[in-house]
Amino acid sequence: MEKKYDQLKGQEPAEFRPKIKIVALLFLIAVSVLLMRLGYLEIIKGTEFKKKSENNSIRFRQIRSLRGLIMDRNGVVLVDNRPSFDVLYVPTKNKGNELSVEKLKELYRGKSLEFSYDQSIPKDAKLYLPIKLDKNVNMEKVALVETNALNLPGVYIDVSPIRLYLDGEMLAPVIGYTGEISEEDIEKSDDKYAYGDVLGKHGLEKYFDDYIRGRSGAELVEVNVHGKEIRNLGVNKPVSGYNMVLTIDADLQKAAWQAMEGKAGSAVVLDTRDGSVLAMVSSPSFDPNLFNNGISNEQWNELQNNPFAPLSNKAISGLYPPGSTYKLIVAAAALEEGVITPDTKVLCRGSFTLGNRTYRCWNKHGHGYVDLHRAIVESCDVYFYTVGKMLGVDTIARYAKLFGLGEPAGIDLPGEKSGLVPTKEWKLKRKKQAWQMGETISVSIGQGFDLVTPLQLANAYSAFANGGTLWRPYLVKYIESADGKIYKEFLPEKKGELRLSPKTVEVLNSALWGVVNEPGGTGHAASLPGIDVGGKTGTSQVLGLPADEKARRRKILGAFQKDHALFACFAPVKKPEIAVAVILENAGGGGAVAAPVARKILSAYFEGKKKDRHPRTVAQNLQMDKLDKLNN
Amino acid sequence: MIFLKFDRRIFHYFDWLLLAFVLTICAIGVLNIYSTGFSASEGQIPLYLKQIQWIAIGLIFMMIIFFIDYRVIVQYAYVIYGISIALLVLVFIFGYASHGSQRWLGGGFFAFQPSELMKIVIIITLARYFDDHKSSESYKLKELLWPLLIVAVPFVLILKQPDLGTALMLMIIFISIVFFIGVDRKSLIIAITSALIFIPIGWSFLKDYQRERLITFLDPENDPLGAGYHIIQSMIAIGSGEIFGKGFLSGSQTQLKFLPEQQTDFVFSVFAEEWGFIGALILIILFMVVILWGLKIALQARDLLGTITAFGVTAFISWEVFINIGMVLGILPVVGIPLPLFSYGGSAMLSLMAAIGLLMNVSARRFILQR
Repeated sequence: MEKKYDQLKGQEPAEFRPKIKIVALLFLIAVSVLLMRLGYLEIIKGTEFKKKSENNSIRFRQIRSLRGLIMDRNGVVLVDNRPSFDVLYVPTKNKGNELSVEKLKELYRGKSLEFSYDQSIPKDAKLYLPIKLDKNVNMEKVALVETNALNLPGVYIDVSPIRLYLDGEMLAPVIGYTGEISEEDIEKSDDKYAYGDVLGKHGLEKYFDDYIRGRSGAELVEVNVHGKEIRNLGVNKPVSGYNMVLTIDADLQKAAWQAMEGKAGSAVVLDTRDGSVLAMVSSPSFDPNLFNNGISNEQWNELQNNPFAPLSNKAISGLYPPGSTYKLIVAAAALEEGVITPDTKVLCRGSFTLGNRTYRCWNKHGHGYVDLHRAIVESCDVYFYTVGKMLGVDTIARYAKLFGLGEPAGIDLPGEKSGLVPTKEWKLKRKKQAWQMGETISVSIGQGFDLVTPLQLANAYSAFANGGTLWRPYLVKYIESADGKIYKEFLPEKKGELRLSPKTVEVLNSALWGVVNEPGGTGHAASLPGIDVGGKTGTSQVLGLPADEKARRRKILGAFQKDHALFACFAPVKKPEIAVAVILENAGGGGAVAAPVARKILSAYFEGKKKDRHPRTVAQNLQMDKLDKLNN
Repeated sequence: MIFLKFDRRIFHYFDWLLLAFVLTICAIGVLNIYSTGFSASEGQIPLYLKQIQWIAIGLIFMMIIFFIDYRVIVQYAYVIYGISIALLVLVFIFGYASHGSQRWLGGGFFAFQPSELMKIVIIITLARYFDDHKSSESYKLKELLWPLLIVAVPFVLILKQPDLGTALMLMIIFISIVFFIGVDRKSLIIAITSALIFIPIGWSFLKDYQRERLITFLDPENDPLGAGYHIIQSMIAIGSGEIFGKGFLSGSQTQLKFLPEQQTDFVFSVFAEEWGFIGALILIILFMVVILWGLKIALQARDLLGTITAFGVTAFISWEVFINIGMVLGILPVVGIPLPLFSYGGSAMLSLMAAIGLLMNVSARRFILQR
């Protein structure tokens, strides 16, 4: 092996002598280029650069982009931007500047204004790094700072756009809110975001953030020792975000919000013809404008600890037992599977016995002999106990899944829950226990393990109403550029087909109509003159809550835990246009409490149809135009 | 095995002068890093102390490499190459990201970048290849396909991290060595043509920020903010140092953090601001001496292997010096290449100490004849 090295064939090191000399020469030339450049910068241009470094000089300033507007389906602006004024202090090497902050405090006190920055400027404050003294100030404060500018070196007013939620809390859980990016998010974002960027933190603002955020710009400015701008060295203009047009109808949303006001729960209105969401209420709600410039700890804690969870969108994340609204699905399953005919009668004596357990009907006197139609109209539980037992839990589950339950409806919002459709396999897997027949009895009236979101419930009824198409519900119709050109359009999307026989549909349609319109129907409170409404009431027992949560709520409510009230419906029965689901937490009976809310929503929809709509115009950033004028 | 036959004469031929120059550069580098950290007030170990630790570890590494005959090291080149590629793949799978690119392995103090080590590995692997395939004539393109593949694999892996600077460095080392050993004129024309075709394709593989940097270099006016901002600040820092500098710990551009990446890419700007033209000149002369010394070693090596190895190492160091200083002076694009021995960085320090170890190795064994 060693020999190999001695048998030098071909090139000898000596042959490289001239080459190495050339390399050395090239290297010396390269070095002299560097030295020439160095000399040019340090000797010839030295004084100039020295001055620049002393003036110190060049600063980077971020320019926030305008977030896209959010409009309803008719072009009504729901979310705009507005200028926000912050009072900044920029520490410089200039001694005595820090006194400006004290002087400003004096001025504020003189006018008895509140000064939010209560500490003194730290000794080791990073030079030229602005400190926010007061956020989102009113015009009075702006004027105060501007008129005293000469006495306040180092103190400036900074203008940047922030969100303006025109309808406040009406749509807040759906639209969400924005906030300044957290340091954690910047780390994760792989250069996508910069410090000070504002991004969507919840709801549509979060889900569509990439479209509506736009891109922040920056400018390079030369400043003097006081931090005042002398020269603009270059600007990367910010790029405004895309505007977003929702499927929401602002008028209907408002009506639904008003119908729900003061109640805890959710209402969802879907267009049965395409699955678009016309209104989505989650109550109680919050004021999204609070988040614009950083929410105070107190306010945040209050929202977080509120037992009614105002921050969450209950329409997609609230889970409720569907109660008797589930009977539509059980009835459809029973008819399709042939375990009953529309004429099958069951005797209801007010209770149902299985083994040594008794299951009550809501009407303890009993309904007597009832067929399917009456059983639905009067919501007889015993009838459905009987039918459910014949079907078995897995068959019920199969139909429930056809109706879109047990999985997220697929709406364009973050945080949608999938609900729960129990099966024997599920229980074995999750609870490590075999399925009990008694549990099937509970499931057949939408109790027990069953859980749905208000959106799922509305979508299931919508699918039944429109002849069997299960749509993917959606909130955003299209995304357009600031000048109104459509960038991305969202079309209705079919998720599944119910494929019920026409006979089944006819029988159930008639029964659901009966619930609202026939004597003895539980949903009478939803009837509307001139419009055929079909629906189903539901009253679900709140058993699922963990004991401590129940106790906590009981303490706050001051009353014993009441039932959830539900109502799901659609109209007109013959040619349906909308489906509505209303769920009110701890409110009592569905027919008494939820049906009247649904009625108000239905009524608003059909009233609204009569009105003339204004043609859609290209929405403008009106508020920000004012700002531009202010800047120039 | 050769390295068991320990020859005491290597002490006699130990290149003390080279070591002295290298350590001088390192020492000035530590002082300089100390200056950048002067205004920082964090609870961590200061960077200059860490750098001293790295230099110490690097010296041990250097001595190990010095003691093993380079002919033995090169004999295992393919094995070392294979291990290094495996490490790069590991980075791809398990590595963690910092500043938006994934180039680190391990964690805490032991975090290191296999891509830095790859620079040395490429040199010895190519040395081995060309020593195995000696030719009295210039190499033809066909004969260069294998060496090209040797470089292409780590090149792509590192480019994907993405670390444009290190990837380009591998290519530059490769091209330097190939030119040095001689390449056929016809092959050269073909190579340049295909490179011209490759450029647009390569362009499409670059990340947005990498493209921006290259565009910024070609047209600085285009983006006075992003990378242009770095260059402007760097030029202000250097220029404002004037002839004698602002003095140790007194560079305002540095201390007020106007200068970006002070401890790594823009470390020369810090030095030039505080020590002026005179200081910078002395530093450049120190580098010049080390590099010319390296070329001398390549010239005096006793065999082809030694020549290629020493030349490769010297080319690597001189390119990094030239590109880094050219970059901060605003005459070359901002690609992340540190200043050898001077910038902060553990992996880079190790690979440079290994490089110096190889130089000393070749130098000391030039008189020791093997039977």
